[in-house]
Amino acid sequence: MTHRFRTLRSLFLISRSGTPRAAFLGSSWPAKMAAPVGKAARGWSVLALGLRSVVPRLPGLTQVRWSRYGPEYKDPQIDKEYYRKPLAELTEEEKYEQELRKIQLIKAAPAAKTSSVFEDPVISKFTNMMMKGGNKVLARSLMTQTLEAVKRKQFEKYHAASAQEQATIERNPYTIFHQALKNCEPVIGLVPILRGGHFYQVPVPLPDRRRRFLAMKWMITECREKKHRRMLMPEKLSHELLEAFHNQGPVVKKKQDMHKMAEANRALAHYRWW
Amino acid sequence: MLKRMTRLVSGARQLDPGRLLHGGPQAPQSLAAHPDNQVPDGSPRAVSCTSEGDPARHGEQHEARHYCIPLQDLRTTFPHGLPPRFGMQVRTFNEACLMVRRPALELLRYLKNTNFAHPAVRYVLYGEKGTGKTLSLCHVIHFCAKQDWLILHIPDAHLWVKNCRDLLQSTYNKQRFDQPVEASSWLKNFKTANERFLSQIKVQEKYVWNKRESTEKGRPLGEVVEQGLTRVRNATDAVGIVLKELKSQSRLGAFRLLVAVDGVNALWGRTTLKREDKSPVAPEELALVHSVRKMVRNDWHGGAIVLTLSQTGSLFKPRKAYLPQELLGKEGFDALDPFIPILVSNYSPKEFESCIQYYLENSWLQHEKEAPRVTNSREESPHINRLTLERVLLYSDVSTWLGDIPWEILSCKSSALAQYFKKGRSEVAPTSSESGSSGSSAAEAAAALH
Repeated sequence: MTHRFRTLRSLFLISRSGTPRAAFLGSSWPAKMAAPVGKAARGWSVLALGLRSVVPRLPGLTQVRWSRYGPEYKDPQIDKEYYRKPLAELTEEEKYEQELRKIQLIKAAPAAKTSSVFEDPVISKFTNMMMKGGNKVLARSLMTQTLEAVKRKQFEKYHAASAQEQATIERNPYTIFHQALKNCEPVIGLVPILRGGHFYQVPVPLPDRRRRFLAMKWMITECREKKHRRMLMPEKLSHELLEAFHNQGPVVKKKQDMHKMAEANRALAHYRWW
Repeated sequence: MLKRMTRLVSGARQLDPGRLLHGGPQAPQSLAAHPDNQVPDGSPRAVSCTSEGDPARHGEQHEARHYCIPLQDLRTTFPHGLPPRFGMQVRTFNEACLMVRRPALELLRYLKNTNFAHPAVRYVLYGEKGTGKTLSLCHVIHFCAKQDWLILHIPDAHLWVKNCRDLLQSTYNKQRFDQPVEASSWLKNFKTANERFLSQIKVQEKYVWNKRESTEKGRPLGEVVEQGLTRVRNATDAVGIVLKELKSQSRLGAFRLLVAVDGVNALWGRTTLKREDKSPVAPEELALVHSVRKMVRNDWHGGAIVLTLSQTGSLFKPRKAYLPQELLGKEGFDALDPFIPILVSNYSPKEFESCIQYYLENSWLQHEKEAPRVTNSREESPHINRLTLERVLLYSDVSTWLGDIPWEILSCKSSALAQYFKKGRSEVAPTSSESGSSGSSAAEAAAALH
């Protein structure tokens, strides 16, 4: 409900930073235009239909994903520890920040984020990537079944192993998951660059978020495609995660292939200009 | 999963506040105070497990404790397999630990005092989903197996009334249908469970299978079972014969018979099976169901009948239904009347403690998190049973769905968890540190909400 209220409010505010467009829909709200807030005072150019900042109409700059929140909306602070710190321990900046948050506008926290101790951004991201058609319940249940499967397999291995090996067997599914994805991250990637009419695969260092994305994407694609028709996702995914944890398996192989291709194309590295 | 979890939130039962503690030493004492036979009190498993492996000697002092069934006994006593989630747990922990609970103890007391001259008494275990009816039945079956009874165990009657590929018209009675696959698998398991009786019991009539094969009077029952296994077409008839013979011979006193049926409401419900002309098949038209219905009547003596109602797997019954009248319907209730109903309820705080302790001892809780102190402020009891607890602990971040769930666990005031966290991880489990999956997140939620 809060979100709807906020979006109504945001109708009267300027939309995105930098675009001096009026954020009003249609001419049915002429009376409310009398109270421009914040940056709207910069001046707006009036559009007949009052569309929300689509101009300049350049093909590359059309906004595809845009938020109903204006730039003055701050992200919510989910971390409970932030609020638990006693007043004595806060530095000047932190005190100022906390005071500021009481006045600032804050976005609504997304439904999938919680302040639980078990909140894991990597797992949430992976679940979202596994989700199809918005079926978060299914994706979430698959994720938990996968973690359960990983845990049970490790427990069986643990009980079957000798005393010395037992110390080396990792039974925490979360550490296995994180380590497996870390093992699948490529260090260097290939980017098609157009030179002289041809596209060349140029080796390029990847930013962190791209590496994490690629690791998760490869894992999910591998599990979706290369499995028997009757095998279920948790079973296959748990198997792949365990293999990646031990630096084996097809996903790690794909990462290594990527590295080899980058190594092979290292002569083209000077095509990169950034 | 969200919907399943909301069951925990509904309703509130008042717990006696005397049991609830602020992480003090009282609850473990209530478990450890009862004299345990062999396990020394200092060992970590004294709290949740007992070394008393014989169900005949289980009593009040063993309540809420786990006891282990040796794995080789599992194969002979439960050849059909245990309920799937329990089977997974057995494979994971490499041991089969059942909790000794009040309904099972009550049943064991009745069975120990059975008068075998009177007609067989019917005991019906009923309760909400996930409360432990099937495992209580398994406890009773283990007891009877140890006491050398003949066990007639049907692990899930619902499997006989749905998803049956081949229905043959019965040779014995044209109106009925045979189910060769189900019957032959049941015969195989029956043979594994009761090997020693099959040669002792003799058939009292001549049975003609077809033009060439027949079983003479006085042959051991094992031959009938073999016939059913080799000629799958006759499997259902073999099952019928076995049941009839056992029923008539149990009064002679050579053996004591236990009839254990899980999901007995399937026998009087509806089926999803259809004939070739797509008309539905009623359960009494299935020969297997017909023979089991005769078995469950109390017109024989020399044993006992233990039944379980089950909504899971039932057909055309509402999800919340758990009472005998609702699940059996009028027909079933009249057929089973009179019976002794035994309610199996959710975990009491002591049982919950024991369960958590068991998980902690097996280092099942693996999530690495700092352990906050366990605070407790609510007194409403959650509806916790093994099913929900298992799910909560397995998924351990269920609080990301509903802040209430760890609340519910928390409000049980698990002193086992509190003790554990107070001590710190290193003392209890050096390699695998874990959080109170539920307890700590509950504590967090509790602190955040206030």
